[in-house]
Amino acid sequence: MDKMNRRSFLKLGAAAGATVVTGSYFGWFGDNIPVSVRNETALYDVLIIGSGAAGMRAALEATKQKGFKVAVMSKMAPTRSATCMAQGGINGAAAHTDTKDSPESHAFDTVKGGDFLCDQDAVEYYTNSAPGVLLELDYNGIAFNRQADGRFEQRKMGGSTYSRTAFSADITGHAVLHTMFEQCMKHDIDFIMDCQMLEIVTDDGKFSGVVAMDMRTGTIISIPSKTVIVATGGYGRAYWVRTSNPFSSTGDGITACFNVGIPIKDPEMVQFHPTGLAVNGVLLSEASRGEGAYLLNKDGERFMARYAPKAMELGPRDLVAQAIEKEIAAGRGVGEGLNAAVYMDFRHLGRAKIMDRLPQVYQLSLEYAGVDIAEQPVPIRTSCHYSMGGIDVIDYKTCATKVPGIYAAGECSCISIHGANRLGGNSLIEVLVFGKSAGIGASEHAKSTTYTGKKETLQAAVDSWNHKFAEASNRNSGPSIAFIRDRMALTMWNNVGVFRNEADLILAFNEITELQQEYKSCAVGDSSKVFNTSFMNYIELGNLLVLAKIIISGALARKESRGSHSRVDYAKRDDANFLQHTLVTKDGDKFKTEFRPVVIAKYKPEERKY
Amino acid sequence: MAITLKIERSVEGKQWVQDYTVELEKGMTVLSALIKIKETMDPTLSFTTSCRSGICGACAVRVNGNAVLACEAPMADLVKKYKTETLTIAPLANFTTLRDLIVDWKPKYIRLKKIKPSLQPKDEFSATAGCKQSPEDFKKYQKNSECILCGACVSECSKCTADATDFLDPFVFSKAQKLVADTRDKDASAHLAPAVQEGLWKCFNCQQCTTKCPKGLSPAEDIEKLRIATFKNKMSSSTGSDHAKAFYDDIHETGRLDESKLGLKTEGLKVALRAPMAYRLMRAGKMSPLEKSEAIPEIQKVRTILEASKEGK
Repeated sequence: MDKMNRRSFLKLGAAAGATVVTGSYFGWFGDNIPVSVRNETALYDVLIIGSGAAGMRAALEATKQKGFKVAVMSKMAPTRSATCMAQGGINGAAAHTDTKDSPESHAFDTVKGGDFLCDQDAVEYYTNSAPGVLLELDYNGIAFNRQADGRFEQRKMGGSTYSRTAFSADITGHAVLHTMFEQCMKHDIDFIMDCQMLEIVTDDGKFSGVVAMDMRTGTIISIPSKTVIVATGGYGRAYWVRTSNPFSSTGDGITACFNVGIPIKDPEMVQFHPTGLAVNGVLLSEASRGEGAYLLNKDGERFMARYAPKAMELGPRDLVAQAIEKEIAAGRGVGEGLNAAVYMDFRHLGRAKIMDRLPQVYQLSLEYAGVDIAEQPVPIRTSCHYSMGGIDVIDYKTCATKVPGIYAAGECSCISIHGANRLGGNSLIEVLVFGKSAGIGASEHAKSTTYTGKKETLQAAVDSWNHKFAEASNRNSGPSIAFIRDRMALTMWNNVGVFRNEADLILAFNEITELQQEYKSCAVGDSSKVFNTSFMNYIELGNLLVLAKIIISGALARKESRGSHSRVDYAKRDDANFLQHTLVTKDGDKFKTEFRPVVIAKYKPEERKY
Repeated sequence: MAITLKIERSVEGKQWVQDYTVELEKGMTVLSALIKIKETMDPTLSFTTSCRSGICGACAVRVNGNAVLACEAPMADLVKKYKTETLTIAPLANFTTLRDLIVDWKPKYIRLKKIKPSLQPKDEFSATAGCKQSPEDFKKYQKNSECILCGACVSECSKCTADATDFLDPFVFSKAQKLVADTRDKDASAHLAPAVQEGLWKCFNCQQCTTKCPKGLSPAEDIEKLRIATFKNKMSSSTGSDHAKAFYDDIHETGRLDESKLGLKTEGLKVALRAPMAYRLMRAGKMSPLEKSEAIPEIQKVRTILEASKEGK
């Protein structure tokens, strides 16, 4: 002690102080990360990535196994996912409102709506399971609208023969998600929130764990687990502002699966909804046209007369979307580039009817476009709405992928039940049916296997991500994330949008390759380890760039027009050659495309007429 | 028009207010202004957002002290409302701030769990046949099911600001009321008992939660409804409910409030500790223990009004 002079005492004190101060920020913050994960003693049975309805439904199922260690990881708080944005309703042939309905009818409508690209055995399983899952949801306490006999009411949606869509006003997705969250709280499901999944890790071709960033402290963590259920949602943000999807729909789980060799199935099947707000892609409900709104070009002409003289504005979704894009291409739209649009006109309906029937449409138009639709037409354009394609699930009963231990459910997966075009109300029931199946499938696998992953492999991945973070987050020069992202969206919209052709697709592929080069040196501009949302956006953009190439690869391979995939250079459906799923896999730096025949059972392909 | 946003920043323990100037664009919301700043001026500015259409609840912040959903708050309206071209943006109050405008939701879920936030279906229902409920009964809780967990009510809550250790967040009471009002639920007391335990009678009744709810829910009213439900479920065993009961009994008996008995009826013998206050009240002529309170002449009319309000007429 006598050797310590005043100077070294101060030095030591300062160092201790600095440790305490930084410790409180670079240790752990709050309890979003379970203690066993922090001290690296955790081994999960079922780890679920994504806290939408698919992920939560899967967790509820997995947690039924006694003594199982289960958690749901999310890059956000649990109730912020895309599920809550679904409006119209949830399908299932419970036959409450229309006794003529049946799972067979639901199956046929689904297969026909999907332009015969659906696997019919999976569709049959799905529509047979749907009524039971709906009744379970009712028993779980969802706020369903009721009919006179006390059972939940069902209404008719596009492409459905009977009234089979249960609903909670026009916020059904929100109702489903919050009911699932209530059940998760009841069953004490562990949520690992504010945690961005970075990589799915495999050992000898088997799943071994997940590497993620705790957003609160910037710590890269690894979570060993026997199984993972990927439920991370769709990839609509590849089109950035021209999508109805939330900012979070960046396909993180799809890219992670692609990187470990799982094929992405039918990625070219991207659904475009006809009426998104031109200004930001937010959806104006299909009820607008149902209530009689007109679609006008810049000359004030009801242009649908040219494309569907009988149905006019009430033609099918894909046809109306294609008509809008044709008008814009012919110079009869307003605005330019990503902001080009046509008008939707409500004025003849009168203010009273608008306020009574379309209050949300009124509100959204006023808030985002600054347009009072009772006074003025509102600029609208097609908006990327849903990803029919996704992670290749090879067993629809368990939601297993080709890699043992990796399962997928919800919009990120492709089972395939939506084929080339999804019907309204079919996605909310999909996430519950297959969330449940995945929960059971993963549990059974976890029960019957021992963990074989190696700690070194996970640690190597953690080290690599630590290195990536240090390198990227300190970059302050170079193109910005938004600059690269906006050009990705523009090229995707212009060349891989509603209409496609070979030359444009090749052009887009090359442009994305160039953007990937720029991405390597792009500026993240934030070096903090605490809630570095810039780094999160950087990771998401990297995923979207890979996904863009996957979408284009699928679109190039499918030399036909089917459902939402419309090739100008191959304008007809080609059942002889393309009654097949496209499978895009990673082949080094290349994207390999293969085909797998569609499963046809009861319903022989026929021409699709409505 | 150029708008200055004064944003309360906090990163790794450092706190400061940073000014950003954005040009007001048509249809610009607080969220689109924040995104513009992050993408063109300062990538370090951090906030959470997801749906950008008012249904996910991720982007609530305070503008000039008042909680709003950033995606639903048009800048032009705020400029008009506050008659200023300078707006202050801060994270929600009554949350722990993680960074800049990002707050910690995890502790809120633990609080939400306390009131058993899920339906306990009546025994006549089953998972294979679902539930039954009339359209009228559905309407009784429909509005309460629209909560998006954005936290605006918590930020505004005067009671949470004063002391949140003995009081739940307003949205938690709204969730409890949703379940109490749901005719499919078999045991209201399972939600009511923890609500009473966790401060049901401690609401200040300032109504800020109701005024600021972006989705039009009324947490303050839900708290009133829950209090009424405690009487219906014969759970009136707290100081708050005894106080309300004492008020009611006095008015019902005489049409007058008897301050001298109010304390005794509310707090029992503990009221002795209030002696100094009683002395002050007597000195001010506000209370006279010797005065015998007789029923007012129109007591029957008062009782009729009370009956009518009981029946909800």
